[in-house]
Formats: sequence, structure tokens, C-alpha cells
Amino acid sequence: MSNVVELRNVVKTYDLGGAIKVDALRGINLNVERGEFMSIMGPSGCGKSTLLNIIGGLDSPTSGQVIIDGIDITHMSERDLAHIRREKIGFVFQFFNLVPLLTALENVQIPMIFAGRYSNAEIKERAIELLRLVGLEHRLHHRPNQMSGGEQQRVAIARALANEPSIILADEPTGNVDRETGLKIIHLMKNLNETLGQTFIIVTHDPDIAHISKRIIYMLDGQVIPEPPRLTMNPSSSILAEERRKMLLSELKWLEVSIKNLEAKKMKLNKESYLQAKLGYKKRLEMLKKALQEEYKGRR
Amino acid sequence: MLRTARFAFTMARRSITRRKFRSALTILGIIIGISAVVSLMTLGIGMKSQVESTLNEMLGAGIIINSSTYGIDIPEHVQYYVSQVPGVNKSIPIIMSMVYIGNKPHTVVGIDPEQANEVYQVTIEDGRGLRSGDMDAVVLDSTIASNLGVKVNDTITFNTQTGGLGKTFKVVGIIRPIASFGQFASIGCFITLDAAQDFFGTPDRVSSILIRLDDPSQGEQVEAILKQMFPDANVLRQEEIMSNINRIMSTIDGVLLGLASISLMVGALGIMNTVMMSVHERRREIGMLKAVGGERWHILIIFLSEALLISFIGGVFGCIFGLGGVYLIQWFVKTLGLNIIVPLLISPQILALGLMAALAVGSVAGFYPSWKAANVRPVEALRYE
Ligand SMILES: Nc1ncnc2c1ncn2[C@@H]1O[C@H](COP(=O)(O)OP(=O)(O)OP(=O)(O)O)[C@@H](O)[C@H]1O
Ligand SMILES: [Mg+2]
Repeated sequence: MSNVVELRNVVKTYDLGGAIKVDALRGINLNVERGEFMSIMGPSGCGKSTLLNIIGGLDSPTSGQVIIDGIDITHMSERDLAHIRREKIGFVFQFFNLVPLLTALENVQIPMIFAGRYSNAEIKERAIELLRLVGLEHRLHHRPNQMSGGEQQRVAIARALANEPSIILADEPTGNVDRETGLKIIHLMKNLNETLGQTFIIVTHDPDIAHISKRIIYMLDGQVIPEPPRLTMNPSSSILAEERRKMLLSELKWLEVSIKNLEAKKMKLNKESYLQAKLGYKKRLEMLKKALQEEYKGRR
Repeated sequence: MLRTARFAFTMARRSITRRKFRSALTILGIIIGISAVVSLMTLGIGMKSQVESTLNEMLGAGIIINSSTYGIDIPEHVQYYVSQVPGVNKSIPIIMSMVYIGNKPHTVVGIDPEQANEVYQVTIEDGRGLRSGDMDAVVLDSTIASNLGVKVNDTITFNTQTGGLGKTFKVVGIIRPIASFGQFASIGCFITLDAAQDFFGTPDRVSSILIRLDDPSQGEQVEAILKQMFPDANVLRQEEIMSNINRIMSTIDGVLLGLASISLMVGALGIMNTVMMSVHERRREIGMLKAVGGERWHILIIFLSEALLISFIGGVFGCIFGLGGVYLIQWFVKTLGLNIIVPLLISPQILALGLMAALAVGSVAGFYPSWKAANVRPVEALRYE
């Protein structure tokens, strides 16, 4: 049982009343191995948050099966789901979501207070330890409004780690800080992943950030797609220009990595398929570059 | 559980101190309600005990015979027949009537000085008591004396009506106020029975006969006999008076408590509103708390403790201000020059009750919004900024 997350044909449909239905997820199959550091990318509204909420037991799927750490949580009661969230999941949000009334130290203690796993002294000790781990030992008694966005997000990461969860779910954790801080935060998570061995699943729009992770999955219209969205798919008009640009950029990154991998495996492949693949990649690379140029022109 | 409660109270405390103005208004609402309850109940209990002790003192656990016309027309020798009734231990003829001193009405009691101690608890503060044969001496209680501004050896003039020709009495003694109950009868002005008969021009007549019984449980029997003997007279048994007065008092109590509960209700609405607003402002926070594993009851406790803390503070100050309110009423009554002693009995039960009422109001009023908070759907609360 090395899969910490197993999704089988997960569907989520929102019923907006009348005959209007929104298919947020359309049959997701996904396995995540223990200790993986994974990113989810995709245009706005493709269902990334919905997916994360279902993995985290905040929301239940319309159909399909959700298995977390070997436990089928698909049909769990609200109470049991709360228990799962407390013991197995750590959430990191885009807007930090710290309690403004509480200090950093107290914020980190919240999940432990709910869980009742540690004694009072242990809770405090652990909270200090966790804040040290994220480099905030000098901010223990600061309130959220006395900290920078990056610091707040690091407090949130410490809070997510409080009960030693199996999985950390981060929904656009860098969406509300500047790029540099965002990268620092991702590197922090990466380090934690390497030292503590927890599984990290991160939703992001930033290809650079995504490419820090070993595995990236792409989503489009409620489905996981094997590759980044292709140009030829003619992105629907509902996708914003900014989104489109990001998609193009992320595909560019993906292509570059793919070409590198291809070169590395060159010897193992037969010549025919190697050349074909290389040609295909080259063509797409050119198209992509052209499209990106147009994109930038259009923006000016 | 305990840990969650402690954590919830930390949050409640900070939430209240952060929104100082709003919290202060809400707390004020509770203070008003609770102080109304406490002061009215303190007054109510004080008045009741006052009435009881007064009646005890006035009637010496017995029966009072009044003239049916409430005039001074009972022949004094009737007292002899009364004293022969089995069960009667002592019977004392008195005149209790109204006189004007200055232009204010006062109840004056004419009584044989030798027998006064049988029915009244007299403590002399200054001067001397009445003596048999005193025809122009008066003894006042200290409240009346200070109202009239007289001391021992000063003189005062009694009139049967305003502006009428009066008779001058010399103040020979000042006594500690005998318990009294409001307008009904404030007894604090004594002359001898002879002087009263002389003043009112009713020789050999009295207005009432006070009766002390051998055994209070025989009251009903003795009353029946007296009623047969004197069908024209008004025979009142103390217990009967007491139950009448109690009925009036509990009506007053009910009205006062009704008023107090209305103000408490307003306080409750205030709490409900405050917690509701807090829940609304902190939706995102609730979503987060649930995401990190908070269950319904965790959230419920967090918001309920805010309501409870507000009502606890309101309750404590309400009790303090309620007692202050009683002092205020006392002072008010005094400045109005009413000859009423409003007693102040600080009873720990009332304070405990006030505090409990506050907490009850807080938990009832806070429950609905807290329940709403507990049922916030985390996905929705977290979705939008
Ligand atoms: N409670 C809901 N009721 C109705 N529709 C919903 C609800 N929640 C999500 N949706 C819809 O489901 C789809 C997926 O939403 P989701 O929030 O998962 O997208 P996302 O990929 O996280 O987007 P973004 O990048 O903007 O955060 C969207 O079309 C959204 O409008
Ligand atoms: Mg999202």
C-alpha cells in the first residue's frame, strides 16, 4: 500500500437548481504515492480546488471512490471526515486563513487542540518546534497582521504539519505573495517533503513553481489530461488571456523537459521512433513560440 | 473538551476586546436587564420582610379590632369584654388616627405608655419615653423628627385638618423608627391615650383594640368569637392581613419582574445580534477551523463562549449596578420626603440568581447564531475572499 491517495472515477456535479448542472470533475483517476511532491496545473475553473477538497475530505464526490491512506472516505459521515482531516490532512490556503485574534504560536496549536493527541505542554513545545522548522522562531507571539504574507504562509504550513498528517494539500499557496516569496515557500515545502517524507499536493498556476515538483498533472474541464493542453485544442474563449499565457508557458516548460528526457533516453530507443518524436516536439516547440510571441504582442 | 473550552475562552476574550464598542453596547444591554432584575427583587424581598416585621410589631401576632367606620367610636370598656374572651392574653385599646403637622398628614397613636411595650418595640434614642398623665408630650421616631426638623424639647402643633386650630405638644423623646410600611401606616408619633382622647374630643372612646393571643394557632377561633360578640366591628386577623398584603406584594412583584424580563429580552437580542455579526465576519475562519479538523461542537463552543463571556460580564456588573439601584431608590425616596424606609437586604441568593439569569440568557441567545456557525459548510466558506 504505497499509494496514499487513490481516486477511482471520481465525479463531482454541482446542481445549481432547475436543469442547470456543473460538472466540476468528470471521472478522475489518480494515484499518489507516499512521499510524492506533486503539482496540479490547469486553467481557472477546471476543477483543481474541487479535486483538492475531495482528497482532503472537505467535500464528497457525487460518484466514484476516494481512498486516503488506505481508508475509503467516500461515504464517511461529517464527523468521521473531520477526524480524517484532523489526523491525516494538512491544508494550506491561498489566503493563509490564520485566526487574526491569535498569535502565530496559538494558530499552530489549533489542530492539536482539536485532536487531543498531545498534552498541553507537548502542544506548546511542538508548536514552537514547528515554527522553528519553518524559520519563524522569532515570530512566535506575533499576530497575523504583524507578519508579512510570506511569514503568514509559513505559519500556515507549520499549522498544516501540526498533527503529522500523511498529506499536505496546498491550494495556490503562492497566489497571494510575490514571486520570490512564492518560490521560497515552495522550496520550504520541498525541503519539508524531503526531510519529513510527507506527501505534498500543490495547486499552482506558476509553471516555475510546478516544475520544482517531480510530478505535474494537468487538468482541463474536470479531467486529468496526460499532457499540457495543446495549442491545437484551441482554448475556449472562456479562458482568460492570462490563463492562456500561463498554459502556453507551462507547455513550453513541459516540452523542454520532454526533449531533455528524450535526449537522455536516446540510446535506448530505436532510431525511427526517436526521430519521429524529436520532429514532433520540434514542430510543437516552434508553434508554441510563435503563439507566445503573438500572445505578448496582443497584450501590448 | 476542557482544552477546547479554554481555547474558546481565549478567543472569546480577544474577540470581545477587539470589538470594544460593540461588545460594550451588548454588555450594557445585559447590565440593564440584570440590574433591573436584581434591584427589583431586592426591593421586593426587602419590602415583604418589612411588611411582615411591621405587622408583627403592630399586632403582636394577633388580632386587631377596628371600628367599622374607622372613626374613634369604640367604647373603651369594650376592651374589658374582649379581655374575657378565652385565648386572649392581652388587649390594649388605642387610638390610631391622622393628624396634620404643618400641612403633612401623619398617623398618631394614642396608647397607654405602660402597655406600649407589649406591642411596639420601643428604643429610646434621646430624651425619655411617655409617662402616664403626659397630656402634651409627644414621642417621635428619628425619621419624622428629622423630617420635621425638631429635637427634644422643641414643640410641634397637631391639627385635625389643614389650617384648623391646633394643639401644641412638646417633644419629650426620640425613638428609633419602628418598622413601617409605606403610606399604609407609618407609625412614629406617639402620645398617651388620654391626650389623644382629649385632642380628638372623644372621651372614653378608642379606634382600635389590639389583641395578643395566648397561642397564635387559636387565632381563627378567637376571631370567630369576637365577630359574634361585635358584629358591627371590623375584626382583622394578622394572618389574614398578611395574606392580603402578600397577594398585593406578589402582584407588584410580578409586574416588576415582567418589566425586568422585557429588558432582559432586549439584552438577549443584543447578544444574538453580536454573535450573529461575529459569525458572519468570521465565516472564512470557521471554514478553516473545520478544514483543520474542527467538528461542529468545537465551533459551537467557540461562539457560545463569546455569548457566555459577554453575559457573564453583564451579569456581574448587572448585580453591582442592581444593588446600586436600590441605594438610588432609597435616596430618591428620602429626597422626596416620603416617610418610607426602603430596606436593603443584600441576599446572596439574588445575586446568584442574577448571574445565573445572565448566563441563561447568554446561552439561549447565543445558541442560535453559534449553531449557524457550527453548520457553516467549509467548502463554501473557504471559496471566496
Ligand atoms: N459550490 C459550487 N456550486 C456550483 N458550482 C461550483 C461550486 N464549486 C465549484 N463550482 C464550479 O466547479 C468548477 C470547478 O471549480 P474549482 O473551484 O474547482 O476550479 P479551480 O480549478 O480551482 O479554479 P481556480 O483556478 O479559479 O481556483 C467551476 O466551474 C466552478 O464554477
Ligand atoms: Mg481554485
